[in-house]
Amino acid sequence: MGESGRYMYAVTRGVEPAALGEVGLDGGPLEVVEEDGLAAVVSSVDLAEYGEDGLRRHLEDLEWLERVARAHDSVVQAVSRLGPVAPLRLATICLDEDGVRARLREWGTELRSALDRVADRVEWSVKVYMPGSVSRTVSVPDAEPARPADARRDRGLGTDYLRRKRTASDARRTAEEHGARVAAEIHEELARRSVAARVLAAQDPRLTGHEGTMTLNGAYLVAAADADAFAEHVEQLAGGYTEVRVESHGPWPPYSFATLEQP
Amino acid sequence: MTAAPPLARETPSTASATSAAQVSLVDLLDRLLGAGVVISGDVVISMAGVDLVQVRLNALVSSVRADMADPRQSLRRPDDA
Repeated sequence: MGESGRYMYAVTRGVEPAALGEVGLDGGPLEVVEEDGLAAVVSSVDLAEYGEDGLRRHLEDLEWLERVARAHDSVVQAVSRLGPVAPLRLATICLDEDGVRARLREWGTELRSALDRVADRVEWSVKVYMPGSVSRTVSVPDAEPARPADARRDRGLGTDYLRRKRTASDARRTAEEHGARVAAEIHEELARRSVAARVLAAQDPRLTGHEGTMTLNGAYLVAAADADAFAEHVEQLAGGYTEVRVESHGPWPPYSFATLEQP
Repeated sequence: MTAAPPLARETPSTASATSAAQVSLVDLLDRLLGAGVVISGDVVISMAGVDLVQVRLNALVSSVRADMADPRQSLRRPDDA
């Protein structure tokens, strides 16, 4: 092993490394670096692999990426079982402990408000799928469909073809609008039931293998004590829409809600 | 035994996990690369004596996604000697 760096998994308010019951990347023992009442959970990694050049090379290697993402997630989950957790982005690496302390000082205010925001709360993922191919998602605002006013007037050559084409495009537009509306309704209802809500970018079916079109990829922050009730509510809500498929997963550490505010 | 426990895919509306939930890789990367604690959308790496070195992950993710779309390339290593 060459020069080593410190891989940062998550920040919390204080934790004993032994209580985590996990090891870090490549079997490196987890350690806690404290500064100003914040505690970063870190482990040593080889800079040949996790330094700038190594990362550039490895981040495009899916097996490597999955291994690191899973290890990162295991540590974040372990921290979340013991206290509030602000997960760090994948591959946040400092050269040494002083670098970690410097980050904790630099990000201190934001980290504290992130920890306040997510304490005793968990994240749920709720996705909505429409059958078939729909290009619009909940992030696109609704618009009235533009209907041709004179669809039945002309009787000239090619009119039937044009009419069929128009009908098909109307039907598609209607389905798209309906899909976007249902996704927006579900999101608004769940946002009302949660402490905070975010709409993530719809996932590419080539990555997930899902059928139909993802019209909502929502993340919801809910009080840990209300998690079961929230899950039940999602299920009930999903039952009211036969035309869409709703998938919900959780509870997860509050990944989507620990983002630092921009200075 | 007459019925196996349903898979999450088969009962999507009730796919809520009960215990320690395993995050799917795509969901995880959505969160670990797109959210999480980060300064400016880039990974920040502190190197010896040098200021912050930033790796533009978004570009990397795009190439990861392009690779994933084509299974023949998904295991390609960029720097194989």
